[in-house]
Amino acid sequence: MNTSTGASESEAERPGGAAPRRLPLTGADGFLRAFDADTRRRNGASHLAQLVLRLGPGFDADAFRGVLADVARANPILRAPISRPLGVSAPVYRLDAARDAGWPAFEVHPAPAPAGTVPELFFRRLNEVRRIERGELLRVDAVPRGGAEPGTDLAFTWLHMLFDGSGSERFVGFLEERRRGSAPPVPPADRPGAPAETSLPGARARGAMAMSWQRRMQELGALPVRSLAGPVRRVPQDLVYDVHAFSAEESAAIVGRAAALAGFLTPMLFYVAVAVRAHDAVLRARGTSPESYVVPLPVDLRPKGGAGGIFRTRVSMIWLQVRADRVGDLDVLLADLKEVRRRAIREQQVENGVAAMSYALFAPTWLYARMTRRSLGGELCSFFFGWTAAFCEGLDRFFGARLLDGFHAPAVPPSPGSGLVFSLSGERLNVTHVRQRGVLSEPELRRFRDALVRDLVGR
Amino acid sequence: MPPDWTHDRLTELIHKILRDDLLEVSGDFTPASNLIEAGLDSLAVTQLMLSIEESTGVWVDESLLTPENLKSSLSLAACVHEHLNRR
Repeated sequence: MNTSTGASESEAERPGGAAPRRLPLTGADGFLRAFDADTRRRNGASHLAQLVLRLGPGFDADAFRGVLADVARANPILRAPISRPLGVSAPVYRLDAARDAGWPAFEVHPAPAPAGTVPELFFRRLNEVRRIERGELLRVDAVPRGGAEPGTDLAFTWLHMLFDGSGSERFVGFLEERRRGSAPPVPPADRPGAPAETSLPGARARGAMAMSWQRRMQELGALPVRSLAGPVRRVPQDLVYDVHAFSAEESAAIVGRAAALAGFLTPMLFYVAVAVRAHDAVLRARGTSPESYVVPLPVDLRPKGGAGGIFRTRVSMIWLQVRADRVGDLDVLLADLKEVRRRAIREQQVENGVAAMSYALFAPTWLYARMTRRSLGGELCSFFFGWTAAFCEGLDRFFGARLLDGFHAPAVPPSPGSGLVFSLSGERLNVTHVRQRGVLSEPELRRFRDALVRDLVGR
Repeated sequence: MPPDWTHDRLTELIHKILRDDLLEVSGDFTPASNLIEAGLDSLAVTQLMLSIEESTGVWVDESLLTPENLKSSLSLAACVHEHLNRR
């Protein structure tokens, strides 16, 4: 696939291995930066993402602190301010302005979290403001866990544009490799002068691709969308989440069902379908009838079979849209989703998205966010969705402790106010539901979960 | 079914698309190489099936692709060949 992260365009990335002073944001980074600015302005929070490792006993916090500091020293992107040179150019990571004593912060908290719950602290972290212009991009919190399964819950919370889901898992693996001394200080695919992952065509072709993307965005608005939270609002972001962990037996049945209905390599369409139907169950009970559901599906742009970088988001998006009157039958909905995705790939929307986002880097952040929302009458989409397959595959220990479980919890803006992430942790399927507090009443939440579980297990 | 879409020709087609367009593979990638281990993912498999459809006129739905027939270009070619025969 010939697409570009836009990363190779800047004079800042010189071949030959010289340390660059500036590193351009990828197009997807620019997209996320726009939503970060929007969230800060409207909702008093940053657009962050979180990954949680549930560790057994023996986590070596001192060793972790040391390795994290070493990695941050060798990789200044982890503490680099993000800004627009001269106020008008495309935004960059100011590697030359990264402070030696800067982030990432690491804190060990003394109070244990109640067994079986997500520490409240992790929610607070997800709702904080990070000053990206000062390089506050990543922090890590360790909370001891009591009860029958003692150990440590370790939360990585970062400005979303620093890592995508795959990048964050690669980063966790990289830290452990650094502890064991089996990885170089800078990941090979993130070294200065490392070949760009992809390349875009010339300006004329790229412009046509971006226009095609924009037309597609405008088409989405023909069938109105309604999220659980409704259109964009000026309310404080107050995200919470819960994780539904299925047993190994249930998970095997669900994974088998997803593969049979949607495909062994494309099970995420099954998970999108059940997520649509769970949201639809609540909206219908409210008497709200959206004409369609619109869900952005992230697509990993890393080379298939290649090493792939860790830092910066390397994704494009496919916008899935299905008519609400097709949601009642799971098989019909799934067939529609397959067709929409297939058409999107055939029409090169993945590549067009990269082109459009590379141009949007030059737009003011408020304009970018407004354009996206304007297409859908003030809504961003119906809900957020993520599928990350096997969580931290191959990692069974982390800094002396056994990895028992883990999951992702990316931030969702107060509108749409709801997001679902599906991942496999060992033999278990985890479903993280991130939502704005109050968007669902308790009865609605029960209805939502019932619909989700019913569709997943198929009864 | 066009008479010239033999199993061998399909294998060659699939191998070429994967090697030249979709995967970042080294010289030891052969028609017998495991496709999942070589990096075939959700996007690449759909791009592959679309390319096969463009060449042969047959669409094989992703839900019919199993770990078994994604084992190699050879096994995937056998699956596509079966669909061509059914047409």
